[in-house]
Amino acid sequence: MERERIRNFCIIAHIDHGKSTLADRFLEITETVPRQKMADQYLDRMELERERGITIKAQAVRMRYTLDPDGEYRLNLIDTPGHVDFSYEVSRSLAACEGAILLVDAAQGVEAQTVGNAYLAVEAGLTIIPVVNKIDLPVADPEGTAMEVADLLGIDPGEVMRISAKTGEGVEELLRTVIRRVPPPAGDAGRPLRALVFDSAYDTYRGVVAFLRVVEGRVTRGAKVSFMATGTKAEVDEVGYFSPEMTSCPELGTGDVGYIITGVKDVGLIKVGDTVTERERPAAEPLPGYREPKPMVFAGIYPVDSDDFQELEDALGKLKLNDAALTYTRESSRALGFGFRCGFLGLLHMEIVQERLEREYGLDLVVTAPNVVYEVVKRNGEVVYVHNPSDLPDLSAVREIREPYVQATILSPPDYVGAVLELVKERRGVYQDMSYLSSRRVELRCRLPLAEMVVDFYDQLKSRSRGYASLDYEHIGFLPGDLVKLDVLINGEPVDALSSIVERSRAHEYGKRITRRLRELIPRQLFDVPIQAAVGSRVVARETIKARRKDVLAKCYGGDVTRKKKLLERQKEGKKRMKMVGKVEIPQEAFISALRMSREERAR
Amino acid sequence: MRLYLHWPFCVRRCHYCDFTSRVAGVNTWRAYASALRKELEMWSGILPRNRELRSVYMGGGTPSTMSGSEVSGLLQLTRRLFGWKPEVEISVEVNPASWGRSDYADARRGGVNRVSIGAQAMDDRVLFLLGRAHDAHAVSRAVSYARSAGIPSVSLDLLYALPREWGAVFPETLQRALDLEPHHISLYALTLSRATRLGRMAENGLINLPGEDEVADEYLEAREMLLSAGYLQYEISNFSLPGHECRHNLAYWRREDYLGVGAGAHSFLMGHRFRNPDSVLEYCRTLHSGGLPLQDLTPIDAQEAHWERIMLGLRMSRGIPERLLAGEEALDLMVVHGLMERRSGRVRLTERGMLLSNAVLVSLLDA
Ligand SMILES: Nc1nc2c(ncn2[C@@H]2O[C@H](COP(=O)(O)OP(=O)(O)OP(=O)(O)O)[C@@H](O)[C@H]2O)c(=O)[nH]1
Ligand code: SF4
Ligand SMILES: [Mg+2]
Repeated sequence: MERERIRNFCIIAHIDHGKSTLADRFLEITETVPRQKMADQYLDRMELERERGITIKAQAVRMRYTLDPDGEYRLNLIDTPGHVDFSYEVSRSLAACEGAILLVDAAQGVEAQTVGNAYLAVEAGLTIIPVVNKIDLPVADPEGTAMEVADLLGIDPGEVMRISAKTGEGVEELLRTVIRRVPPPAGDAGRPLRALVFDSAYDTYRGVVAFLRVVEGRVTRGAKVSFMATGTKAEVDEVGYFSPEMTSCPELGTGDVGYIITGVKDVGLIKVGDTVTERERPAAEPLPGYREPKPMVFAGIYPVDSDDFQELEDALGKLKLNDAALTYTRESSRALGFGFRCGFLGLLHMEIVQERLEREYGLDLVVTAPNVVYEVVKRNGEVVYVHNPSDLPDLSAVREIREPYVQATILSPPDYVGAVLELVKERRGVYQDMSYLSSRRVELRCRLPLAEMVVDFYDQLKSRSRGYASLDYEHIGFLPGDLVKLDVLINGEPVDALSSIVERSRAHEYGKRITRRLRELIPRQLFDVPIQAAVGSRVVARETIKARRKDVLAKCYGGDVTRKKKLLERQKEGKKRMKMVGKVEIPQEAFISALRMSREERAR
Repeated sequence: MRLYLHWPFCVRRCHYCDFTSRVAGVNTWRAYASALRKELEMWSGILPRNRELRSVYMGGGTPSTMSGSEVSGLLQLTRRLFGWKPEVEISVEVNPASWGRSDYADARRGGVNRVSIGAQAMDDRVLFLLGRAHDAHAVSRAVSYARSAGIPSVSLDLLYALPREWGAVFPETLQRALDLEPHHISLYALTLSRATRLGRMAENGLINLPGEDEVADEYLEAREMLLSAGYLQYEISNFSLPGHECRHNLAYWRREDYLGVGAGAHSFLMGHRFRNPDSVLEYCRTLHSGGLPLQDLTPIDAQEAHWERIMLGLRMSRGIPERLLAGEEALDLMVVHGLMERRSGRVRLTERGMLLSNAVLVSLLDA
């Protein structure tokens, strides 16, 4: 198909504003998916996406639409996730498109990711089509919302379209507008191939599938290609597009979106952001790639049953193939045995990885409290990155500990600004400035330690603003903090999995809470067990679990020795399933609750 | 050899009971008694010559639902079938309300020289709440009947760790029991299984059981009282005046041979453990059709025997020879924690250790 008849666009929005639902209507109108196969949020294909009702992975699909009198157009649509953890998926999708539908929920108005994603699209040079969605809702305020969007983009409210992705009202009109307003892809078909790898997937049988946006030239089956950054050379086994299933075709032309399979099995050889070119006639310059998403949140993932270690490693390897942002390295913990320190983009990402591991691979996992990465400057000038609080070098060797900060944008109705500011202050945030987006929405900018995000900042923001405030953030690097490592010692033994890095002024408070909770959680032992929270060698909080005093000593008929033996055997079996911390026996469940608890306590 | 005779019937079911005791009619009793006789006869045909009984223990249930003379009849049968050693100890568990003066006299004539009276508590209200079939006065009456019948050893069973709201103060209960000057006292903590009426009440929060610390304090205080009243503790739950230890029970912990007769009775004979079925019906049917209802016959090998010596032996105040635990790291740990002590070549549980005997044993088993 000639380039002029191609339109590449994506749908971007704040979470839950209806992107995937709008995609459904497009699929119907273009008859891309047979009516009997259609389902709500059809492009949310992962089981987890369907269950949670959110999009996690961007999904591309090719559609055909005939616009009289011009004839047929090819539309490549990418549905994107709305959650801030996955905003890198949005940036990557933008690079494959010329236009973006910016969708805004008419009942919610402009929210933080509406703003964040709009900026991303503007930066990427895309044509933005602003659309107010959910106008069918009784509480919808299409006019007010259109005004907000118009203010945000500096356009006339009349240019903002109004639709209901649910009822379909205005959707076909929107599709026509996309064709009219989004420019066809530029690019010279005669030049050497340059295609951007904007995503990848892994197929057990066929190896790496590279998702491409062809910028110049074309790619055909059998072509000999190379990947410019990694230097990988390969022959194209299959070329195809998404319908949304992978559907093979003879070639992808300039401006097209699709995939290639080359038989490369090693995921390290094909990187998202790389440029594919042809070997005979290589392009001179690669396309600008992406910054690789850097995980900022870390947690230990351990198998409950240490025999499952290998299985866990395999499962992580497989997950990583479709989730480039996930990182994992082996680590061992005295308390938990062998496991992995995993890096995530955020808490939702972490939850999803955990859930997929448990669900898709049938693993039983212990996940430690998440922490951010710390930049530690040693006295000798060396800079190290600490992903696990228990790896923090001895404080006497440390000059400075820096923690990651984010630039946060919070949108809130004016009524809740006070509450939001208070929260920002409590969470060690630095308020920067504030402006009115409209009479009913204030945009507030501040810097916050990422560590505060990792706990429940977002939940708190929602609850203190009755759900009206929203948040978007980006990483801005490391800033020094007055931070210390807080160790938890059970019976004098430090429990590495419970160590954390906290602000010095809060160490005492946090130590008190965590020791108290542990005292309640850990069952009494045959001896007194001190529980201490310590910063270095200084104990900041202490509790004691008093020794057990009495067993169950029922009257039992003396002759029945067998029963007594069995009872003891059973208790011994039970003991085997305990976690040993030094000489202290902690039931598995209590240990897991202790970890979970330390997560909650951190959140307060 | 020693003989245990089980009588699984009670006049009513106590609210805390999850033994396989039953309330049944006279006809069942009669059928059961004849099955018992039959079982005794069959064993007498099987067992080798030197089998004179060192002790006979009639337990239940409530053996005193039989009359004193019926009990005597059964005992005399055992004497005819197996023979009694001259120093034989013959115990019967008695419900305080079951027997009149003449029953005790009959029992004494039949050979009974020890009665274990199931007092459980010494307060009418508490006894009522426990669902016991007797009042407090019955206890003192039973003790005096036993004494005047010339029964030389009288024991009382008492329950502690009762629900808080019942207001029973255990030292007071114990003092009232001590006032009756029994030769022997057994203390048991009330433990409730879900299957019992009180167990369900506890689960639904209708009664509150005392916590671990309170129960331990109750036990220790009671122990102190008993020791200062001149009783010796010879086992975790058992106290006696010198010479009044229950030899039959000691035999269990010393792993001497015993034959258990009756439904649900356990035996340890010639290195084997086995038992009879719990079901009275099954028990009777098997015997009436000419078979022994014996089941779960298990030979005890040397390793098992070693473990039994430890686990049973440690129940006793005298403990066990230290060599049984030679090289056991867990022993040192228990000593460090004050749960066990070494004394002239023997080891035993300390007072704290007695309250935690299961945990101690599990630690030793662990190693
Ligand atoms: N009433 C009404 N509900 C809508 C409309 N569009 C979407 N919804 C509902 O809004 C919810 C979110 O819709 P999705 O399409 O999953 O939203 P999304 O933007 O794809 O969400 P993420 O991918 O998680 O960011 C669903 O319950 C939809 O049924 C609409 O036009 N009207
Ligand atoms: S007397 Fe003993 S066996 Fe009988 S019901 Fe009461 S507790 Fe149970
Ligand atoms: Mg979606």
